[in-house]
Amino acid sequence: MKLTKTLAVAAFAALLSTGAMAQSIAVIAGSVEDAFMDKIKKGVDDATLMVEANGGSVQYLRTQNYENFGPDLVTLINQAVAQGVDGIAIPVWVPDAQIPALQAAAAQGIVIMQYNSGLPVKDEISAINYFGSDEYAAGFGGGKYMAEHGAKHILCHIQVPGAINLEERCRGVTDGATAAGATVTTISTPANLDGDVTGTAEALKAEFIGDSSYDAMISCADFGGAAGANAVEQTGLDIKIGAFDFSPATLDRIAAGTQTMAIDQQPYLQGFLATSMLFANLKYGTNISTNPVLTGPAIIDSSNVAAVVAGAALGAR
Amino acid sequence: MSTQAETGAKGFSLGALARRPETGTVIGLIVVYTFFAVMGGPVFMGAPGWSSWLNIAAEVGIIALPVGLLMISGDFDMSVGAIIPASSMMAAILCGHYDLPAIVGIVGGLGVGLLVGFVNGLVVTRTTIPSLIATIGVMFAVMGLTLGFAVLIKGSTSVSYVPDPLTKSILGQFINGMFNVSILWWAGFVALFFWFLHLSPIGNWVYALGGDQESARNAGVPTNKLKISLFMMSGFCAAFVGVAQVMTYQQAQVAGGQSFIFNSIMCVVIGGVLLTGGAGSVVGIVLGTMTFAIVNQGIFFASLDPNVGSIIIGVLLLVAVLSNDTFRALALSYATKKK
Amino acid sequence: MNAITDLLRKPAAASILSLLGVLAFYVIFGGVDLGNLLSAASWVNYAARIGIVAVAVGLLMTSGEIDISIGAMIPAGAMTTAIISGYYGLPIGFGILGALAVGVLVGLFNGILAVRTSVPTLIITLGTLVAMQGIVLAGSKLLTGAASVPLTAPEWAKTLFGQLMFGGSHQVLIIWWVAIAAVAWFVLHRTKYGNWIFAIGGDRESARNAGVPVDRTTIILFVLTATSASFVGMCNAILFNSAQVSGGMGDIFNIIVSVVVGGVLLTGGFGSVVGIFFGAITFAIVNKGIDFTAIDRNWSNLIIGVMLVVAVLLNENFRQMALKYVPRKKSQKSDVTP
Repeated sequence: MKLTKTLAVAAFAALLSTGAMAQSIAVIAGSVEDAFMDKIKKGVDDATLMVEANGGSVQYLRTQNYENFGPDLVTLINQAVAQGVDGIAIPVWVPDAQIPALQAAAAQGIVIMQYNSGLPVKDEISAINYFGSDEYAAGFGGGKYMAEHGAKHILCHIQVPGAINLEERCRGVTDGATAAGATVTTISTPANLDGDVTGTAEALKAEFIGDSSYDAMISCADFGGAAGANAVEQTGLDIKIGAFDFSPATLDRIAAGTQTMAIDQQPYLQGFLATSMLFANLKYGTNISTNPVLTGPAIIDSSNVAAVVAGAALGAR
Repeated sequence: MSTQAETGAKGFSLGALARRPETGTVIGLIVVYTFFAVMGGPVFMGAPGWSSWLNIAAEVGIIALPVGLLMISGDFDMSVGAIIPASSMMAAILCGHYDLPAIVGIVGGLGVGLLVGFVNGLVVTRTTIPSLIATIGVMFAVMGLTLGFAVLIKGSTSVSYVPDPLTKSILGQFINGMFNVSILWWAGFVALFFWFLHLSPIGNWVYALGGDQESARNAGVPTNKLKISLFMMSGFCAAFVGVAQVMTYQQAQVAGGQSFIFNSIMCVVIGGVLLTGGAGSVVGIVLGTMTFAIVNQGIFFASLDPNVGSIIIGVLLLVAVLSNDTFRALALSYATKKK
Repeated sequence: MNAITDLLRKPAAASILSLLGVLAFYVIFGGVDLGNLLSAASWVNYAARIGIVAVAVGLLMTSGEIDISIGAMIPAGAMTTAIISGYYGLPIGFGILGALAVGVLVGLFNGILAVRTSVPTLIITLGTLVAMQGIVLAGSKLLTGAASVPLTAPEWAKTLFGQLMFGGSHQVLIIWWVAIAAVAWFVLHRTKYGNWIFAIGGDRESARNAGVPVDRTTIILFVLTATSASFVGMCNAILFNSAQVSGGMGDIFNIIVSVVVGGVLLTGGFGSVVGIFFGAITFAIVNKGIDFTAIDRNWSNLIIGVMLVVAVLLNENFRQMALKYVPRKKSQKSDVTP
């Protein structure tokens, strides 16, 4: 008992001392089950090599799932603060829950770096920079692309009703497509269909049949692309499929022509830049004068899919 | 059929059709279908509508069959929710990552289901842990293993695989463009399970197990072997759905499948399986599955708020169990059997 | 020696042993810094969130019933508060009462169906689970047009239900948890009502014959589980300034696992509040403490699954010991093992 206590005290002291000398960073991300987060992790891992080579340390914290997301994120923020980190890199997905916790962290002198999500609240949490895409701009680009490629009536699919960033995407799709002369209808599928390809495919099929004027679809979710392609396969209608983000299977579909495009925000860059630039700020005091830094949108279609496949095989795209 | 009456589990005669639990299910099915046919119009009554709910019904239906049998014998299986992603991950990693032939992936995926089912059965028969708790434990463990190994081997939680045309046509094709081939598989499973439960001599054992385990054992029923087999069946069927999903959508993910746990139980209950064990039928389970799928899909054709679907399912479920009670009371009083 | 066997015969023994086992595992294989782990707020907050509902569910399970509608009641409580006080701008008092009222109503519904029908409560509450999910989502869409509602609570409500304390990371919910557990401990182990619960869980019919108001007690227990869940949802909404309609399906399993690890018998008649309390702590440490270890987070579910089975097995053995020690008629084993 005494030994463990001594050990604990020693370890705690060791941790405190390393915390005082070297820069320790916590990178907070989404669910361990989310493949998108794996690409962010690849970027974080690559940046960690550089950070560790310079005497710093990186802690990568993820939630188990998205069920209790706001509280889980706050828990991770508080945990990072309790462990005495010098900087936190984090997306803002649930602003109402996260902002007070991040403000409290910033008040203790912890440097906040924002990535991936929540650009509108960047100043509220005093983040030093933002690496990610602007949801609205990404949607705008996607909507414009579809309209310019001949779409007249686009269905914008939201997989989690009420998610603010997804509604922002569809608002962008609407404005981008309208500017190029197309109309957009936004459809939300129930939250219990999130991740359920069969259920979402059948729901989309019902929509496509219900309104025959649809000739394109943009889903806010990668699996929505799979579901849309399946609905098209079933109905035999001529509907172009687009989706935000992508998985290896998406690339297969774009190569095979069953999906027209994917809107990429290059998560690898977000993880890599947020981690390395936060460390550089802490250690060397550097700041990028471009603020925010947008890593997307980059449109993947048949013209550039081969290059993306190569990056995907290495886990970075 | 007459042999079943001897087990004492089903206290009704063939002539008393109105007292069969399935009667309520049929009425529910007709009401629900009529409602959505009116709301959804000709599109819902045509091929698109039928294919839509049949595709959903096939997936959950394949799992609902063995889950229903387990419930007839008095047990639950919560681990199906973890087996679906585990088996599809296994198939996708074997074929998509290691480039092995499709048959290896299929066998591997189904093997995962059988193995997990075997573990479930072993834990339930060798210990006194109730099956609800044992399978929740196994569910968590399998979820952890799936996620851990996927990340360890592939470094990602999503794996893609493009099956060869033959495999795709057997497991992931859409017939006539709309009807998923899994509907045929479902029909096959239904026939198999119907034979197993209602025609083969083993079927009576399942009822006996749900009626009274001790007397079943005394009457010479190999209760432990039977239970393990039932759990292996539900593992196998869940794995089958997982493998078919890979072949259909050409990708596997570590999450998803959780919704099948309660969905399959709901189908079974709507189908009139009495949850106290010892009664129920394959026909009822199939009807319950169809009702469930019609509500879930009809909602999109009827252009109602999709969330209203959950309310309808919940109400249906409560009505189903309440009417089961009534039907059972009727049946028991008619047969004047001592329960 | 006698003291040890005495301890082992307590329903809480297995959960305390599980807790020690998990901590040992984390220290040996995860290189965890115990001082760091035990001073961290993350798992305590989580334990409180799970624990408040687990106490109520534990009492219910001791009486031989189960309630899975709690999965819908946590978001329902949060949404009710946020819609009443956030969207319609009524004083927060109405929002709090509204959330609790929704809990009481759903609990009454579950309880009355449970005593009036012969349907297993797993199925009854599965029905209310699905229906409530639909009602909350569709209702929120209908009333507010969105599935996420912001809420700004006044200071006093934040202090009571949603404040952080001890330097800003422990939630006030922890105090509620400890208080609720203390009250539940008193009721279950020191009053006649506790005896009633055990009696009902042991044998419903003989309890009724002995004059225990079985139906009323059962209904009250269902009201407690639903209300405790909506209470937790309400506190979360006040703390995080918003309510979101989310699945909550995971919470069902998490809470049941906590209760079972805490030594409550699914078939009823056996359990203790101390056990449930430690069950929630154990579950929270496995789930949230893993971030403090060198073990990859990906394996946390595996640990939970194994721990659950081991804890239940331990429970079984200890219970057998307890039964042997106090010779009494073994209550008729139910032929159904749901």
